[in-house]
Amino acid sequence: MIKDLMGFVLRAVVVLSGTALATFVLLWHAPGDPAQAIAMARFDALLTEDVIDQVREEAGLNAGFWTAFRAWVGPLLTLDFGRSAVTGRAVWPDLLVAIRYMLPLALAGLAIGLAISLSLAIVAVKRPGGWLDRFAIAIASLGTAIPAYWLGLLLILLFAVHLAWLPAMGARTPEHVILPALTLGLGVAASLTRIIRSGILEARGQSFLPAIRRRGVSSRGIDRDHIAPHAAIPVVTVFGLELAFLLEGVVMVEVIFGRPGLGTFLVTAIHARDFPQVQAVIVLTALMFVTVNLLIDVVYRVIDPRIGARDA
Amino acid sequence: MLSVSGLHAVRAGRTILHPTSLDIAPGERIGLVGASGSGKSTLGHVLIDELRSRGCRVAHVCQSPDEALDPLRSMRFHWHEAERALGLELGAIDKNTLFTSLKIADGDLRKRPWGWSRGMQQRFVIAMALISSPDLIVLDEPSSALDPVVAAATMDLLDQHLEGKETAMILITHDLGLAARRVSKLMVMETGRIVEQAPTEKILQHPQTRAARSLVAHRSWIKLPC
Repeated sequence: MIKDLMGFVLRAVVVLSGTALATFVLLWHAPGDPAQAIAMARFDALLTEDVIDQVREEAGLNAGFWTAFRAWVGPLLTLDFGRSAVTGRAVWPDLLVAIRYMLPLALAGLAIGLAISLSLAIVAVKRPGGWLDRFAIAIASLGTAIPAYWLGLLLILLFAVHLAWLPAMGARTPEHVILPALTLGLGVAASLTRIIRSGILEARGQSFLPAIRRRGVSSRGIDRDHIAPHAAIPVVTVFGLELAFLLEGVVMVEVIFGRPGLGTFLVTAIHARDFPQVQAVIVLTALMFVTVNLLIDVVYRVIDPRIGARDA
Repeated sequence: MLSVSGLHAVRAGRTILHPTSLDIAPGERIGLVGASGSGKSTLGHVLIDELRSRGCRVAHVCQSPDEALDPLRSMRFHWHEAERALGLELGAIDKNTLFTSLKIADGDLRKRPWGWSRGMQQRFVIAMALISSPDLIVLDEPSSALDPVVAAATMDLLDQHLEGKETAMILITHDLGLAARRVSKLMVMETGRIVEQAPTEKILQHPQTRAARSLVAHRSWIKLPC
């Protein structure tokens, strides 16, 4: 157990420092003058060279790469994300506000995605190859083929413009979360449906099921106690990938629906070349990935301890 | 006496079990032998289904414990599930006596099947089959996944446990050596039919049909330990 834990910490350190370094290198070497972008974002006007030089000095862009990297990483080790190059405010409180907007959206999207994909998959496996099954697969394929930005616009057109049932833009009321969450959820559902469906079908073919049935166990009991855990293994596996999809989707959906949140925060920061803000988002995202992957590892070992035993 | 008649099975338009009748006395030990594909297991399944539909208590032990136990579930879960399936209250059965007689009393029930040896797993499966003190226990090649010594020990323990009880036993096997010492009556199957049935000694010494003769000639069954 201690060995597992140390392995995890080591992996997390490698992933996080790699991400931090790569992000910094990419931002540092991106084309264009960061000082000009920061100055534009700060003052929202065309500026003289003097002002831009002053911004360059303030933002620490005059220093060499390693000096700047150290100046950023040093405080980061004490969880200090630094100050925004544009506003001068500490990054963390603003980031926290963005997360508070993003989290309900991501969770609602995930919940909608799980609810839709579970129901579709359960309907589909009632009669594999039947018309309901084909219908469910067709819906899932359609969902995969439609990009989030287009689906978002379609939903706005239908529910906000034509039917006027739901608000399209902003984040003032809880109702504002419905359309963006639906956009995210449909995307998640599209990929999960296939995996849950094939997971259930594969679990149904397990060689021990006929004997358990012959022991007199009800089919409901078999579904719940034997098929569901076996079907869960591939679903848990892709959950890490789903998270990547979800975060990518959140960025896009927040921009489409004009919601403040992590996505909008990131896009604004990239436009302004606000290094501390961009880096904070990336490091936080990497941390989320590492944590989710750890949780997946733990869930794996709870469902099937042979997985942990084989690794050891 | 368990009497069934007209048992048959058709798969994909092909008759794999011709109409068959069976009479099984309480406590009787019957060996169902024949080459692979002769319809032994099919007869076993059809018999179980028929007797169950009449409300008889029939237990089934299959070839390998892999075919009986879910690797993701603990032994305790399997035990409780089997109790619930029989409509018994949890812990209603005195499993200690059963486990002691099958020599699995020191097995850790919190473990999953793969935490136990295969021999112990198979004995656990047999213990589950015996929970309800069934009218009939059908053992379908119960020892083919075990090594000969463990197989013999398992069958000995089962024999001892069933001694003096009313539970009848059908042992399905292509291994005449296994059946020879443990059953009083043999039924020989070929192409979906019982072609010969008689007391074990009689068939072993004077097989009448080609199928029985080839089984008896197949190996020196009398010298086998099990």
